Amino acid sequence: MPEIFINGQPVAAGDNQTVMQAALANGFFIPYFCWHPNLSVHGNCRICTVEVESDGGGWLDIACNMPVTKGMRILTDSEKVRARRKQTMQFLTLNHPVDCGICDKAGECMLQDHHVAYNGSPSTSREPKVKSTKFFPLSKRIVLDNERCILCTRCVRFTREVSKTDALGVQSRGDHSLIRPSEDGAFERDEYSDNVVDLCPVGALLSRSFHYQARVWYLKPTPSVCPGCERGCNVDLWHRRPEWRLRALDPAQNNRIDRVTPRDNPAVNGPWMCNKGRDLAAVFGRARAEQAMLKGRPVDMPAAIANARQLISAARHPVALVSSWASNEELASFKSALGGVFASYVKADVAPAPGETLSDDVLIRPDKNPNRAGACALFGAEAPRYAADTDLVLVWGEGTDFGALPRGARTIFLNAWLQPENGHADVFFPISAQTERAGTYTNFEGVVSAFSPCFAKADSVADAEALFPALSTRPGSAT
Amino acid sequence: MPGRALLTGFDVTATSHLLADYRARGGYATLEKALSSMTPQQIGAEVTASGLLGHGGAAFAVGRKWGVIRLNDGQPHYLCANADEGEPGTFKDRWILEHAPHLLLESMLIAAYALQVRHAFVYIRGEFDLPYRRLQGAVDEAYAAGLLGERVLDRDFACDIIVYRGAGSYVCGEASGLITSIEGKRGYPRNRPPRLTVRGLYQKPTVINNVESLANITGIIRDGAEAFRKVGTAKSPGTQLISISGHIAKPGVYEVEFGYPFAKFIYEDCGGVLGGRALKAVIPGGISTKALTGAEIEPLKLDHASLAAAGSSIGSGGMIVIAEGTCMVRLLQVLLRFYHHESCGQCTPCREGMGWMHRIIDRIVAGEGRPDDIGLLYEISRANDGTTICGMGDAAGYATVGILDKFRDEFEYYIEHKRSRLGGVLEVATHA
Amino acid sequence: MKHLIPEFDRLRQRFPDTFASSLVLPCVRRIQEDRGYVADADIDELAAYLGVPRVQIEEVLSYYTMFRRKPIGRWHLQMCRNISCSMRGSERLLAHLERTLGIAAGETTADGRITLSTVECLGSCGTAPVLVVNETYHENMDAARIDALLKELD
Repeated sequence: MPEIFINGQPVAAGDNQTVMQAALANGFFIPYFCWHPNLSVHGNCRICTVEVESDGGGWLDIACNMPVTKGMRILTDSEKVRARRKQTMQFLTLNHPVDCGICDKAGECMLQDHHVAYNGSPSTSREPKVKSTKFFPLSKRIVLDNERCILCTRCVRFTREVSKTDALGVQSRGDHSLIRPSEDGAFERDEYSDNVVDLCPVGALLSRSFHYQARVWYLKPTPSVCPGCERGCNVDLWHRRPEWRLRALDPAQNNRIDRVTPRDNPAVNGPWMCNKGRDLAAVFGRARAEQAMLKGRPVDMPAAIANARQLISAARHPVALVSSWASNEELASFKSALGGVFASYVKADVAPAPGETLSDDVLIRPDKNPNRAGACALFGAEAPRYAADTDLVLVWGEGTDFGALPRGARTIFLNAWLQPENGHADVFFPISAQTERAGTYTNFEGVVSAFSPCFAKADSVADAEALFPALSTRPGSAT
Repeated sequence: MPGRALLTGFDVTATSHLLADYRARGGYATLEKALSSMTPQQIGAEVTASGLLGHGGAAFAVGRKWGVIRLNDGQPHYLCANADEGEPGTFKDRWILEHAPHLLLESMLIAAYALQVRHAFVYIRGEFDLPYRRLQGAVDEAYAAGLLGERVLDRDFACDIIVYRGAGSYVCGEASGLITSIEGKRGYPRNRPPRLTVRGLYQKPTVINNVESLANITGIIRDGAEAFRKVGTAKSPGTQLISISGHIAKPGVYEVEFGYPFAKFIYEDCGGVLGGRALKAVIPGGISTKALTGAEIEPLKLDHASLAAAGSSIGSGGMIVIAEGTCMVRLLQVLLRFYHHESCGQCTPCREGMGWMHRIIDRIVAGEGRPDDIGLLYEISRANDGTTICGMGDAAGYATVGILDKFRDEFEYYIEHKRSRLGGVLEVATHA
Repeated sequence: MKHLIPEFDRLRQRFPDTFASSLVLPCVRRIQEDRGYVADADIDELAAYLGVPRVQIEEVLSYYTMFRRKPIGRWHLQMCRNISCSMRGSERLLAHLERTLGIAAGETTADGRITLSTVECLGSCGTAPVLVVNETYHENMDAARIDALLKELD
């Protein structure tokens, strides 16, 4: 554990650390573009240059590739370092189009941040900027603006080291270098391709689905968990900030997920997520069930509850199919309120789609529901079993073939989504979705992750967690 | 003769590059001596004692570079002879490849033995045709004669030499770019650390030496370090192959003993400036060294210390002679166009800076220069000094600053009058 | 590329086992010698043969100036435009070639015979100006020698 000095302060660096790692771990900021904690070092941007003090006259060199040595004295903000950084920023913005006004990255762009912090001056160049391709289709999901690209190669290293598709490369050389996808379409098939959009320190790699959708400073990232599989990648769901909900806008715009980004959790997904999770807006944007019903006939919630309680108390052999998309909190509520009444089995809400990758060596897991582990911990892992005399089935969550349930059994159905089978149930309850409440999921390795609400639920929709006690017919429970 | 010769002291004939002729001159006897009576450590010590400096441009002590290799560390070691010779003005390694390829091979075998190398490479620039054929021919002869392969000279020493052809990239002459090219990729140079002698080709310890550096090994082992040190100067032992071109009467490759007077070399050995013109400038060691005026070279000797004291360098031994009447603005344009073309594009200062400098000089030459252009060229050069992944950024800066320092007035004239004071001439004399 | 595989197998033997990636440059050069350029199908086949990512071969083809993915004229004439050649007249000779052939550097004659390019230093400065015709260096060139050379090209 060599002791080094950063800006005069002693720092206990780790063995085999670089100055960059030691500095960041100890609260000293060194700016960077091409360095990334989860990728190999390339050392091409040169912005992380620091000064090494030495009795015989010091020197400047990049920190990301500089091994710590005992007693070394580093300056991260000396006059020389500042001059070097300013010059580096001058070079980086030399041919950069500086079209922030139409660039999605504005507001979260490292080039903007470092320009303001370390340069702040106009360009000293009088030459016309080098032109390049501006809307190169890297894939159906991602568009590339080569003029904005600073060739940090984070995206190339990602496909080489993380997704392991070798799908991106650098064509040509010098200031004509271009990031390009492998011509066999490997990038189109890379299930982690969208991570390069997060990685890109500038507005060169852009998500097509987010292109021109919203300015990031109007958006709020709400911590959540991707429900796409039992990995439970931690994510941020970005939606319009409450204070920026404008009446002038289409209400749908105020209440949609604008984009999904990974939230770094070393115990689950690191800083990555797969492409399926990027499209959660489509999952959560599906039509919602908002009306309680009795065999398709609209009723109010108290009437539905009363009806369901009757069915439950009259049933002699009730079976429950428990949602594996339910939160731990909802599951605990069901167990406590109704677990003693129903023979409960855990069901999949979502099955793999045709052609969907089942699993891989990176993040994707075969079970496409986020909380099977949490559900099975409470209700076991057996497949549902019906007896000849099963007379009531409570189905919780989507994905059940009602035609396969025992004939003659009555059904109580709880679902967030507007689906045809809602109208076939004897009693139907519209329930809240993940984005409307707080809760936790347990992933396949037992790691528990929490999600927070983004939106308010409709008044006519019930929280399952509160509904179960209301359905309980035990003495002392809610009526 | 510019001093004593160590490498070129034989008659070049139609067959002198062939194995039979080389053997008749005593070829491969030194390899025999090394394998039979010396240990790897002894060879390394002799090379270190000789003070041999690298001849590729950096003048790093060869013995010191070799000394980083840890013998018996259980890892494969690799040796690469750098025959990329891309530095404009340089064509002296070519002489060895065409006329003394076996000298290189024998030296490489001795080095391989000293460094415990099983597979050695000669990285030869892709454009070379005759030099490649001669070298590959020599390699084939060596295999046929049992000088390469599983049992070299029928001893318990195996060594393979592979000739690896480049494909058109100046930075593949930079040691780490060379290695990345041999790995079958774009010739991207690498940051140090790690040194290539620690992690080089496929992350294994690798020694890269210039062809001429290696060519000297055989003589050093044959005659000993002391004999080598008797030639040249104390700080620059031995000789330098200088390839001289440009406005010189007798261009070609000359072996010059270190310490030989610069002016004498130009005016006597090489016949002086074309057409008897005055000497305007000399770029002594490849375009990445700083130009010296005709007056400045008068007191200088051709060795590292003398040129360094004058603010320049022996460099790669590619000497370019510039006659009075040459437009230095147009000359710098040729150089900056070259650096721009060759930038690999990895790191910010060079990728952006080379294009920037090229565009500035093009604008000046087109009559659209601005007064602050000179300051900008200095600033960009400074911004590439010690800031880049490899030395090319620095090199472009030295070339630019060297010419601006000595010939600023020509640039000021061109900018002010929108034309060259010398008619934009580069070809001062027509080739005879 | 398939007919070159026996040759590539032999070449592979010369390298250490872990050096499959190194085969990219020599194999690409050989394919180009054979076909005149490197075709898309060659890239697929070579990537499969060597077990390297396709993108590596694409990068190599675009980075090195000597590799091409499109055919050129039967005769590739490359005039050096670097310092010593410029100082001995290569700019003048390039202009002469452009006038004589009726094309600019970078172009191919209409009959497809000759492609003219400029090239950087070839390591032949002592015999400047230098013109490369396909693989061969033609040194100490002047207008008369160029004219004579052009007559020899079919």
